[in-house]
Amino acid sequence: MSALALKGPYWVTVRQYRRTLWLTGALVLLTLAVIGGLRIWDLQTPDVYLQDGYSAPSDENRGFRTLTLAMDYLGLGILFVPLLAGAFVAGPLVAREFESGTYKVSLTQSLSPATWLRAKLLTATAVALLATVALMGAFRIGWSRMAPSGYPSWDPHPYAATGIVHFAYVLAAVAVGALLGQLIRRTLVAMSATGLVMGVALLVMGAYRWSILPVKTVTAPAGPSLWAPGHGLVMETGLLTSSGTRFDRMICWEEASRTPGTDGGGDLWSKIEAQCLARNDVTGQYVDYHPESHFWSTQLIETGVLLALAVLAAFAAFRVLRARHP
Amino acid sequence: MTEDPALTAEGLGKKYGGRGRGWALRGCDFALPAGRICALVGPNGAGKSTLLALAAGLLRPTEGTIGAPAREHLAYVAQDKPLHPRLSVADTLRMGRELNPGRWDSALAKRVVEGGGFSSDTLVRHLSGGQRTRVALALALGKRPGLLLLDEPMADLDPLARHQLMGVLMADAAEHGTTVVMSSHILTELEGACDHLLLLHGGRVRLDGAVDELLAAHTLLTGPVADLAPHTVVESRATGRQLTALIRHEGPVEGPWETSEPSLEDLLLAHLRTTEGAPA
Repeated sequence: MSALALKGPYWVTVRQYRRTLWLTGALVLLTLAVIGGLRIWDLQTPDVYLQDGYSAPSDENRGFRTLTLAMDYLGLGILFVPLLAGAFVAGPLVAREFESGTYKVSLTQSLSPATWLRAKLLTATAVALLATVALMGAFRIGWSRMAPSGYPSWDPHPYAATGIVHFAYVLAAVAVGALLGQLIRRTLVAMSATGLVMGVALLVMGAYRWSILPVKTVTAPAGPSLWAPGHGLVMETGLLTSSGTRFDRMICWEEASRTPGTDGGGDLWSKIEAQCLARNDVTGQYVDYHPESHFWSTQLIETGVLLALAVLAAFAAFRVLRARHP
Repeated sequence: MTEDPALTAEGLGKKYGGRGRGWALRGCDFALPAGRICALVGPNGAGKSTLLALAAGLLRPTEGTIGAPAREHLAYVAQDKPLHPRLSVADTLRMGRELNPGRWDSALAKRVVEGGGFSSDTLVRHLSGGQRTRVALALALGKRPGLLLLDEPMADLDPLARHQLMGVLMADAAEHGTTVVMSSHILTELEGACDHLLLLHGGRVRLDGAVDELLAAHTLLTGPVADLAPHTVVESRATGRQLTALIRHEGPVEGPWETSEPSLEDLLLAHLRTTEGAPA
């Protein structure tokens, strides 16, 4: 964070927000130190040997339990980085200039308004991306203990923290913040609006990201539960009739539940369900799943969507600036 | 002193967004010669700040055009003297240097700030109103602008500081031929400092010209009540049979009156008072 090498509007931006920069740096270093420290604490208690070469952390291992907890918070924290970055750009970086009138100073210096906004956004982007990389590094230090390496991590936290999509979220948040900060021009409202937009983007993509690529399906005769091949993501499992149509398992569950004397399951319940399945010609089962290769494909598609949002928002932000300030 | 205009307006109008808000400025035409110290006068809401912000390139005109120098050749000090509150005075001046590469006059900026009675380590947010004005002026002058736009520059200053800063400003403007446009309510601040006058009222230009020409074109007269034709009466007051009037004369003033050339203050007050009630 050496302000000495910086020039022009970059120097001004860094100088103006030096406290935020120091705070960001301190938080990132603290996170790295905490996760590193917990990994060392965790090493103090040997794992319990289970069987077949597998072992698990001992129940006595408070270091591991604390690490698990810390990783939950870190995963959540990483999800919040784009929201924070976007809110900071929208509020203190852009809207406050208009709210407090300091834009009258900034925009009447020798450089163009576009240069001024670009310097702010590039500085914010660089800092947010560096912080994201460092936090993801901390996550990986912890994650290598939580999960076997080499397999995709489908859960939302590791999906964000071990992939590339989150860099695109940060870029989109900075661009959306730049646009909303100018349109709203009120620090707190602009911050909330940007946080809201990016939060909605995260939720919507979280809800629909596994619907982008078509699932693959495996089928097998009825019998022991079928599982997705490799380390794929199971989306749906169910039963098949002999003609290959999908059969709603609930029909037989409900029939069994309706029969008197079966409450709570038991042999009678299983028998009635089995009779029902046989009557309906159920002979097989299926699993819809995303193969491992879909992890990176989905990451790339989602990254593309977010980058498109980032480009559109950035373009609009500079258009608004040009339209208002000749 | 060249006669190329430093600031021109043609059919200039600005209407702010929002329902029910009228024109802040409408149909303004003027050409301000370079090298002048121009007083921009008018009652509150006359459009002075809007005109200065348009000249500074912070606003786009709704209609018409404004011809002002490029961004690097003008400086603007807004009425509320906005500055980044968390930067120190020294940082603010460094900002001036960083954002105006190749033209920043560090010595001049320091000279303006000195005498303010505060250390350059002071954060801007700890400065008093007058001290902020000093820093804002230093930032504007340090840029070595060809056109300096000042919105109510001296309002926050005590008389001593006002006198000193006006001195610095005028000496610098004279030395470099800077054109200054300065809006003000303080008429004494303008007297003797300004050689050009732009009077706005209701968003329109009511008076525009060199101060000496405007003064020479007007006559202050006292005497018996009588018809003042063919002269244009700006303002007249009758007390009994005694008449005091400010007129814009057409040809020599002949009659039983005592005549004198008005002061700038007489002229401004007469115009401000009469336009006060006039339809915009």
